[in-house]
This record gives sequence, structure tokens and C-alpha cells, in this order.
Amino acid sequence: MNWRKWNFILHRDIGYLCIGLTLIYGISGIAVNHISPRFNPSYSIEKSSLYTTPLAAGAEPDMAYIRSVLAEAGETGGFKNAAFLSPGILRIFVDGNTLDVETATGQVAMEKIRRKPLLFEINYLHLNKGKGAWTWLADIYGVAICLLAITGLLMIRGKKKSRGILLSFAGFIVPIAYLFIVL
Amino acid sequence: MKTSIAVVFCLIFFIASNVHSTEMQLGEPLTLDSVTAVSEINKHPEKYLGQRVLIEGLIIEVCAKRGCWVDIASDVPFEKIQVKVVDGEIVFPLEAKGRLARVEGIAEEINLTKEQAIEMARHRAEEQGTAFDPTTITGPVTSYRVKGLGAVIQ
Repeated sequence: MNWRKWNFILHRDIGYLCIGLTLIYGISGIAVNHISPRFNPSYSIEKSSLYTTPLAAGAEPDMAYIRSVLAEAGETGGFKNAAFLSPGILRIFVDGNTLDVETATGQVAMEKIRRKPLLFEINYLHLNKGKGAWTWLADIYGVAICLLAITGLLMIRGKKKSRGILLSFAGFIVPIAYLFIVL
Repeated sequence: MKTSIAVVFCLIFFIASNVHSTEMQLGEPLTLDSVTAVSEINKHPEKYLGQRVLIEGLIIEVCAKRGCWVDIASDVPFEKIQVKVVDGEIVFPLEAKGRLARVEGIAEEINLTKEQAIEMARHRAEEQGTAFDPTTITGPVTSYRVKGLGAVIQ
């Protein structure tokens, strides 16, 4: 078997192996490209406010008060903790929600967070938040993608040779031209 | 083929969905045993600057944009300290809010001119999607924080 045949086999099989991760990295790449104060690629963040019964003057907030605030806010998530941010501002943490309560007025500012289905998971992989073993797997994928590019380059021949050269050249020249313009 | 793809995606979804549900170890393993109180660092920062410290407390705020900082409540009411990490080295999940953390890192001092302080506060407000009034900053600001190297979130 000549080297072209081996090159083809490598390109084909590495290509199959890379389909899943290329889709994951590609979709996540688009999402994280657009991170802004208005767009979080991994979480939905919903802010709202409402009024609850104020804490009686001179009274200290206790679990009964926290439970009543949560009930009035319709919050059923598991209670995690509570802390005073400043005199009169009590922050209550429950699963998926943070409530800042102005105890004197009963005003509550809520911030609900929810993982975006699938996007959270693929961003977790793409941004290598887990570190450890995933670092190695992602490195292997990076090497595989490079091999895919090299074996692809070596496949350029025959009647479509000029088209292959032109498109490959464009793939290099676009980022280089961009850097040349912006730097 | 379609079934295989669906199974793979379900598996990824299942595994990643269970991330963060238990104790989380982020970054370098913790090496110190004795905890330095946040109030002690805030009160006598000169004793700790440049030193490796272990702090412990409730996470009251997390960077919503990149998970690159958290605020840890002090043992003294209404006080806190910021833990800043290098973007991407450690990513604090938003779900960490309201959980207890032990964080190890280097205590550092940040000196900002009035303009820099306004810019930083504006940036932070943008990240968190909160309102910011620049008139609240009236001069240069010196603050203390911990450059986070490793953390365990319970």
C-alpha cells in the first residue's frame, strides 16, 4: 500500500473520531465568542424584584423570617445559607436563586440562575473547566485536528489541485490578513 | 447511527449535569492547614502581603461573566475579601454562591487611581448586570485581595 492510501485512511478515520468533538468545540466556540454583559453562554440569569412583609422594627431576622420571605417570593429551592451584606441587607442563598432583602422595606431583588441545557455541558468541555483528564483528551483532540489538516493538505492533487491550493491558501491568508490589519 | 449520537450526547449531558453537586476541588491542591481569618488580613494586610494564606468563608458573590473571582464573607459582619484567579486557570461556577469555601492563595494589595477605580467598578457592575454610580468613588482606592491558587468548595 502506498503512502497516499495510508494518508487517505488516516484522514478518514481521524475525521470520524473528531466529528463529535468538532461539533462540541464548534458550537461552544460560537457561543463563547459572544460573551457579553447581556449574554452568558452557560447560564440563564433572570433578575426580578418584589415586595415582601418588612421585618418588624428592632427584630432580628431568624430562620422563621427567612422562611416567610422565601414563601412570599414563591421560592421552593433548597436553602443554602444567608448572610448580611450590610446593615439592613440580608442575602439569602437557595438552590438556583439569590435574594437580597432590604429588611426595613421588604423589597427583594432576586437573581435566578439556570444552566442552559446542552450549552452548559459543551462549554464546560470546551473551556476545560474540569481540568485533569480532560486536559489530556483535549490535547489529543488538538493533535488529531492538526493531523486532519496535514493529511487533508497531502490529499491535494489531480484535476482539483488548483482549487485545493487556492482554498488552503485562503485558510491561511484570512487570519494573517486580519492580524495584519488589526495589529 | 442516530441512536449512537443521541446516546453520546445524553452521556455528556448526564456527566456534566452532575458536576458541582458535591465537594469541588479547583486549581492546585490546598497545602496549608491553618486558616487565616479574613478580618485579620483586612485589619493587618502588611503582615500577609506576598504570603500564601488559607482563608475560609461563605461565597457571597461570583463573577457572572467568566467565574474569575469570588467574594468571600469575612468572619466580621459586612466585611469581605475578593479572591481573583487567572482567567481560565480556575473557573468558579455560579452555583458556588452561598456555599462554604476554603481558598489558598497569595495576599496582594491593589492600588488604583480614582479613574482606575471607577473603571474597575464600572466593569464589575457590567459583569454582574448591576447599576453603578461613579460618584460613589471619590479618590484613589487601595484594596486587598487574594490571588487564588486552589480552592475547595463544600
